[in-house]
Amino acid sequence: MPEVNMPRLSDTMQEGTITHWLKKPGDEVKKGEIVAEVETDKANMEIESFSAGVLEQILVAEGETAPIGQPIAILGTGANVQSQKQAVAPQVVAVPQQQPATNNASIHPQSRPAIESSPAQNERVNGGAVKSSPLARRMAEEHGIDLQQLKGTGPGGRIVRDDIEDYIEQQRNAPATRQAAPASVAPVAPAASAPAPISQPEAAPEDAEIITLSTMQKTIARRLTESKQNVPHFYIGSDIDLTETLEMRQKLNANAGEGGVKVSVNDLIIKACALALEKSPEVNGGYRDGQFVLHKHVNIGIAVDIPAGLIVPVIRDANLKGLRTIAREAKALVAKAQAGKLTPADLDGGTFSISNLGMMDVTDFAAVINPPQSAILAVAAARKTFVPIDNQPVIRDIMHVTLSADHRILYGATVARFLQEVKRVLQNPYLLLG
Amino acid sequence: MAEISFRQALNDTLREELKRDDNVFLMGEEIGVFEGSYKITAGLLKEFGARRVVDTPIAENGFIGMAVGSAMLGLRPVVEIMTFNFIALAMDEILNHAAKIHYMFGGQTPVPLVIRTPGGGGQQLSATHSQNLEVWFAHIPGLHVVAPSNPADAKGMLKTAIRNNNPVIFIEHLGLYNTRGSVPDGDYLVPFGKAKIAKEGTDLTIISYSRMAAMALDVARRLEQENKWSVEVVDLRSLRPLDKETIVNSVKKTGRAIVFEEDWRSYGIGAEIAATVQEEAFDYLDAPVKRVANVEVPLPYSKPLESAALTGAKQLLDAINELAPRRRR
Repeated sequence: MPEVNMPRLSDTMQEGTITHWLKKPGDEVKKGEIVAEVETDKANMEIESFSAGVLEQILVAEGETAPIGQPIAILGTGANVQSQKQAVAPQVVAVPQQQPATNNASIHPQSRPAIESSPAQNERVNGGAVKSSPLARRMAEEHGIDLQQLKGTGPGGRIVRDDIEDYIEQQRNAPATRQAAPASVAPVAPAASAPAPISQPEAAPEDAEIITLSTMQKTIARRLTESKQNVPHFYIGSDIDLTETLEMRQKLNANAGEGGVKVSVNDLIIKACALALEKSPEVNGGYRDGQFVLHKHVNIGIAVDIPAGLIVPVIRDANLKGLRTIAREAKALVAKAQAGKLTPADLDGGTFSISNLGMMDVTDFAAVINPPQSAILAVAAARKTFVPIDNQPVIRDIMHVTLSADHRILYGATVARFLQEVKRVLQNPYLLLG
Repeated sequence: MAEISFRQALNDTLREELKRDDNVFLMGEEIGVFEGSYKITAGLLKEFGARRVVDTPIAENGFIGMAVGSAMLGLRPVVEIMTFNFIALAMDEILNHAAKIHYMFGGQTPVPLVIRTPGGGGQQLSATHSQNLEVWFAHIPGLHVVAPSNPADAKGMLKTAIRNNNPVIFIEHLGLYNTRGSVPDGDYLVPFGKAKIAKEGTDLTIISYSRMAAMALDVARRLEQENKWSVEVVDLRSLRPLDKETIVNSVKKTGRAIVFEEDWRSYGIGAEIAATVQEEAFDYLDAPVKRVANVEVPLPYSKPLESAALTGAKQLLDAINELAPRRRR
């Protein structure tokens, strides 16, 4: 079946971005006819077809980029026309007077092809999704992997867990030539103090001790340097009145009974953030390769201080869990972290992080984002503060929080709305029991 | 803890329960003077007399009906159906009486009835004497259906069955009677509705019951010795109620499942398990659930043909080879 390929339109061109399709699936294409417009490194140009036929499938949608030589559309007899055709037909029936105009028209600027995504190397189901097992799809989502990049080795070319694990290993080993680092250790720095830059080791001055980094410390250094260098951080702070939340917590814990798990302030903040994240999908998402990735699960990482390092175990689906469950899981994860017994499963898949230094009487700090997440909340201590209420000074428990946000996906107002929701929930703490 | 046969475990348990509770009594064809076609009731007539160990005419619907009636009136009958194949004659008593009476008559009387019966092929007993019909009964609300795979579970589940106030179909297997295993002494009970992880593993899960569970365990151990795959074996033990949690958790761990069953494949136990797995562990599945079961023909008498029709270790190994992941875990 003839294909239309991304042509080389200049000597330096390596790839082109389709700006506009002039044909849609089902349209007849003559030899030499212009089918699409493409943006190269130099200019906007036109792509003409070297064969005649019916455009059956568009492989590279408008706005997408393909390397030269890669097929961008398939021509055929018209028997296998993919995409929008079915969706268009009923419309045509409903509005018969438009019918003559739509068929065989040579220019169709208004309709955008429905088929998205680029290379056609994978097994596709019905011309759409890549053939992959449910487990592979879930893992890909958790690790932010684009399945289009993978080659399936399962039955019928299906992408299975093995393929995802191969890919993760490759990704892990690629940077490892510079710096050995298992990606499962995914720590964040609690404070914005610049992480030590990786530089040439110098001869030790007499009055200093040189310490070789553990693998985890190397990973922390590398990942946080990457984060601060590559992620445009901005910071928004908020004062939250925790008085009522603390009262509720006291009652909850007084009634926990013997052996009952006590709920910590951090557990309440986890739950509040989880509920707020449901309403702010971008804060629960991330920026990756020119795309926004919005996660379906709310998995909250909690920064845990451990000897010689820092680690961020994850509470999964925190928005769906009750306070006691969160408290129990958080307690278990912290204990595991301190015993050095966390498994990759405890660390993977976080969509948002919280770093809490409140217990150390910190008044204010900002944290470094833990990529590929888009935000991290830095929580300071709740302090007795005079607050004017009805023009009278009243003592309330005020806690300052600062959200560090990735400006590629998050904007000031989005973050402010998110913080407002966190504040609303924490100031009306019975919402936490919902 | 004594090492005894499956047969001996059943015999010991019946004796213990007959001693423990005067309301327990046995009924069946040739179970008294002849001591049972498979000698499960050996010595019991001599020990307990003809009031407690009753030989019946060849009339399954008649004596299952009697058992239902006596259970309604407070006795605890343990009936032997000589082989599973003959149970069809008593279907109405089981389906419409035993399984329904407690429910339909406002809970006035439970039906604490146990029907023990051996199934299974491989003995050249031909088409009408080699069947596994557990799925018929596992389908019926109001019944409990259990199928142990080893002497210890045989003892623990038969005791639970006799003390349970519901009608229980207790499935034995001709091929298991001579297998041996250690059996806990004393009053050992195994609850219904709890599957057992017979062996832990990480690469894939085999879900099975009765003789196939024992075979799956052998295969899994062999693969481990040969350092091939780490196979987890879930022995269901109880088909109704079904322990979905253990099945689902295991598949969540391994991502791949084979149901290994000695019934016919269509509409079998495997279909139910596969449906459960896709309902409750869809996002964890790395491959379609495989069913390894008998060929769908009446079982032939001829030995080569019988072997070809029955499923077994070879079929299971083939399925494992097809399904196992490339990377070991």
